[in-house]
Parts: sequence; structure tokens; C-alpha cells
Amino acid sequence: MTNKNTSTDGTVDVLVIGAGASGGAATAWLAEAGFNVKCLEQGYWQDPSKYASASKDYEFEMLTNWAPDPNKRQRDEDYPVNDSNSPVTPVMFNGVGGSTILWTAHTPRFHPSDFRVKTLDGVADDWPITYEELEEFYDLNDEIMGCSGINGDPANPPRSPRQMPPLPLGKDGRKLISGFEKLGWHWWPSDSYINSQRYGEGRDACNFCGHNHMGCYQRAKSSTDLTYWPRALRSGATIETGARVRRITIDESGRATGADYIDSKGNEQHQSAHAVIMAANGIGTPRLLLNSTSDAHPTGLSNSSGLVGKNLMFHPFAMISGTFPEKMKTWQGPLGNIAMSQEFYETDKSRGFVRGYTYQFQRSLGPAWIANGGFRNAVPWGEGHHEELEKRLGSVMAMAVIGEDLPEEHNTVDLDPELTDSDGIPAPRLNYTLSKNSRDQLDHAIGNAKKALEAAGASDIFVDPMMRQSGWHLMGTARMGDDPSSSVVDKWGQAHDVDNLFIVDGSVFVTGAAVNPTPTIQALALRTADYIVSNRQDLKG
Amino acid sequence: MLNRLIPAVDELPPAGHMGLIDEIVRLSGQQARFQGIFESAVNTFTTENTDFSSRSGSEQDDAIQQFESGHPELFNSILTISYIVYYKDDRVHKRLGWSGKTPQPDGNEMEPWDDSVLDAMRTRKPFWRRVE
Repeated sequence: MTNKNTSTDGTVDVLVIGAGASGGAATAWLAEAGFNVKCLEQGYWQDPSKYASASKDYEFEMLTNWAPDPNKRQRDEDYPVNDSNSPVTPVMFNGVGGSTILWTAHTPRFHPSDFRVKTLDGVADDWPITYEELEEFYDLNDEIMGCSGINGDPANPPRSPRQMPPLPLGKDGRKLISGFEKLGWHWWPSDSYINSQRYGEGRDACNFCGHNHMGCYQRAKSSTDLTYWPRALRSGATIETGARVRRITIDESGRATGADYIDSKGNEQHQSAHAVIMAANGIGTPRLLLNSTSDAHPTGLSNSSGLVGKNLMFHPFAMISGTFPEKMKTWQGPLGNIAMSQEFYETDKSRGFVRGYTYQFQRSLGPAWIANGGFRNAVPWGEGHHEELEKRLGSVMAMAVIGEDLPEEHNTVDLDPELTDSDGIPAPRLNYTLSKNSRDQLDHAIGNAKKALEAAGASDIFVDPMMRQSGWHLMGTARMGDDPSSSVVDKWGQAHDVDNLFIVDGSVFVTGAAVNPTPTIQALALRTADYIVSNRQDLKG
Repeated sequence: MLNRLIPAVDELPPAGHMGLIDEIVRLSGQQARFQGIFESAVNTFTTENTDFSSRSGSEQDDAIQQFESGHPELFNSILTISYIVYYKDDRVHKRLGWSGKTPQPDGNEMEPWDDSVLDAMRTRKPFWRRVE
């Protein structure tokens, strides 16, 4: 593939750090607009035919080589994360496609109210943009990634039609939904970036294997290696894999000049660029910025606000499961893509907390997964083991609570003083405590989840009040805003302190809403890329 | 220990008499991190319970419970791999009526989406919060 307008010294127009959800989107958009774009990704391309769901060892692989927690997975391309000061462990994947390789692709959008938390509820801050300003990019992203769903949801504003009808509910899904209908509570089929029909280049429909969280053998689940990256490469973008960035480099004026990195052979390299886009997720991006100190940026790149790494938000997850009397083949169908409920999404201060939560319905899997607990306690060993296992197999359904975390400056990602990755780069360290508002929210959700499960006919309710392995959504650590003293990037994702540095991942979130963030992340990435195309032709060589 | 963790049921013997050890050793070696924890678990348990096989069943259970509470991560590695290997076994699949096939490439069949399930929800008025 020939680079467009390649500088004789190898300088590219835009260097993107990270090839995941946002990096893929931004790279494709810019490349298609004629920019010379290169991406550095520390992981590698994945071969769907080698995903563990076709391996006889898949149950073991799920917990080890394909574990979502990088500290358990420990592949060469993974870096350690010190999570000892956090009740939530990180979940991410390093590779082309990033965490979209392992995500369940449950893809609701933010609500309009999610952009106005301060104005509406007197807490946190407002975003410098509105839902309406992002809507065309949500629509575009849906078209590229492929969304299965259906219009008419009373909990969400009207929007453009989905590309494909919803995924099947299954007998298990209909059973769980019956509880919500009995209570008169909202439910709606999940928006999912999973093909319910053939859609996209070479991408089949889902064949309901139940293991979409391990990478999709069918290519039915959308990930950016299958969607944005083919478009990016056809338009002349390049990607170097096995490339671990050490720091973003700057010149005497404090502008970004590219990145120092270690290539796949272990050699130190430098890639020059007219602009840098950070797309390394809400942990990886602040880590690199904090590691990119200089005289001009003594506390980290573009950190005059002191907010790089601060306001870390997760979505605190509780998981409530129940056992039904009937067998429902719960292992059939995408794991977390049945339906959701947003009955308690918008703020109602009579509940004693602000903001709200989404329920994401969950299936359960085969006997080994059940025996090891799945979403609950492991089946007890010894006497009674077999009876309990047979009771649960095919009968357990769960509801994950996605609660809205509020930004708090004491929740941070910083650099660990001792732990490093295999190249000696300081590891990130998480410092996080759950707020009272979040705890009250989760407790409210747990109470209502029990009611819904019981209304649906479940018993033997089990509650995990805060899942430890739940750090899927990494947000807030380089927040967006109009005021440089209280934000890191502006409304276009451009760093206040460095006008040729952009951030497009979940770091820029001002607030986290109570939904899976990836469609919003990707919409923001497209919007930032579009801004660069429209306003920053000066970045072209 | 396996016999106590997963006892006999119906026609199946306890797990320790099913010839699963080789597979446990093989599988645990598929990832260095897990293998390290598992080998440490086995060594620690063996060291702390040198006369395990000569104890009664209830004494063995007590020893396992003590190990479980004293070394939860180590114990968990033994239990996890034991469950995985046991539930991979064709004899167990036959007893449970489980197909035992890998999730891919065959997948499963499901009834297609049916719009009529939304009949009740479609009567509900919009309740998302407007922003001026």
C-alpha cells in the first residue's frame, strides 16, 4: 500500500496511537479524506478462525489466554495494571480492534440528558456538546459497524432505522422479560453491533454460539479490525503492530512531533508526525501522557489543568442472577445481547440518589462455566455438587446493572512508582473508590432486579453487589470542556495545551451515562476526525 | 483430593478415578501464569497434608476446607481446572445430555425475532428526559 504524500523523512500527517474502537474510526475517516495516517498498535492482528470458541480447550482459554483482564491474560503485548487500590479490575484487549475483539457489542446510545448532568441534576459537569451535535456521527458509526435493533424505544429519542432487525430473544430472554412486563417496567431489545443478518464485508450472521465475549469466529460481531480497518487500509493508511509507544515527543515550542516506540523486534524507533491522536483507552492514554513529561509539560503532556489521569470513571456493575424452574438452553445466543431496561435511567431524586442505571440482561453458559460460578458463586464441591449443577444448568439468567459513576478527582490513573511493563515503561496504577451515590444506586438496582427476577419466576437469587472484574468502561481521565483550567481537551477533542494533539477515546468523557460507552466513543472519534478534515488541512504535509 | 471435590454420581465414579490427571496437567500448562499458581497450589496442599490419603472422608473434607479458606487463590486454581476437565469429559456429557461440541463452528439455532413481543411496550409513552 502506497502512502499518500509521504514526507521524504517518513513524517506522516497524523499518527494514531491505538487501533481499537476509536483509533480505527479516526484513522479510516482521515485516510479517506486524503490524510497520510499511520497507527501504532502494541498488539497484533487477530485471526477469527483461531478464536478459542472453536477450540476444545475453550473453557480454559476463556479464563487465561483470552481472559478480558490483562493481568490474568499476560500476553507479551499486554502491560500490567496495578489495581490493588481499586475494587474494580481493568478489562481491555491489546490488538488491532482493541477491546472490540472481546466486547459483547451491546451498544445503546447516551441519552440527551447525559450531556447536561450539571444543568439538570446539579452535579458533575455539562458536556460542551449535545446529543444532537453527535447524532449524525452515531448514525454513521451504526452504518459502518452494523447495528441490530429496532425503532420505537420509549426510553430513548427517535433515531434513524437500524441496519438489521434485533437478535432473537430466545425462550430465556422472553422469560426474563415477562418479569418486567408483569411489573409494568420498561424493556427493549438490545441495540447490538452483532449481525442478525449478513452485513458488512465478508461478515455472516450470528450463529448464536453464546461465546461472543471471546472473539467472533463468524465475524458476525463487529470489531474495528473487520469494519474500519479495511476501509482505512484501502485508503492508504498504514498500521504497525507490535509497536509499543513509550512517549509522545514534542519540540521546543511544546507541540507534538510524533512518538518514541519499541518495535516488534525490540528496537527503539521514532515516528514523526504533524499531529498525534491518542486512542489508547481511558487507562492507556493518561498513562502515555503522564509519561511524556518535558520542560514545556513538566507534569505530563497537555496537563496544565492537572486533570490528566483524574476523574476516572467506571460503570460500577452489580450482577443479580436467579434460577428458573425450567430448562431454557441459556447457552444459545449472544451472552449479553438480549434486552435492556432503562426504567430507572433518568434521575428521580425521591430515590435518594442522582442519575440512574440500565439493566443489561445476561445468559448463562455450559456446565464448566456453571460449575465455576459464571456470574455467581462456584457450585459447591463435594456432597450436593451434582444436584446444584444440574439445577443451574440451562436455568440461570442474570441482570447486569450499569450504574452511572460520577466524576471525582480522587479517582485516578497515575504512574506506578515501581511496576513497569516488559519494556520498562511505568505501568498505570488505578486509585478508585465507589461513591455513596453509586453505592445507593447499585443497592436500589439490586432491590428492583430481585423483584423482576421473582416476577419472572426465578428463585435462589444471588447478588454480586459489585463485580470486581468489571472495568470494561474506562472514562474521564482527559476530560472534555471549554475551560482549559478544568479540562484537558476542547469540544473537538483537541488538547488545550497542544494544538496538534487530539484524544478520541473514553478519556474525554465528562460524565459516563449509564450505558456501554463504545458507540459514543466512536461517534466522538468520527466527529474529531471530521473536525480535523474540515479545519486542520494545515496538518497535511 | 479430586474424589472429594467431585464425588461419584449415578454410573460415574468420583473424579479422581476417571483418569483426568493427565488432562489437568496438560491443560494447566497452556498458560504460564495459571500453571505457576496451580503448581504452587498442588505443592502447598501436598506439603500441608502429607497424610491426606490415609485420612477418612470427613477428615479429608476438613483439610480441603482449611486449604480453601487459608489459600483461596491457590485452592481456586485447583477447583477451576478440576471442574473444567471434568466437564470436558464425554462420560459426563453423556450423563448430562450435553452435546459437548465446541461453540464454533456449528453454533446453535434460535427462533428469529418476532415483532409482536413489543406489542405491550409500544403502547408506552416516551419517557426519556427532554433537554431544552
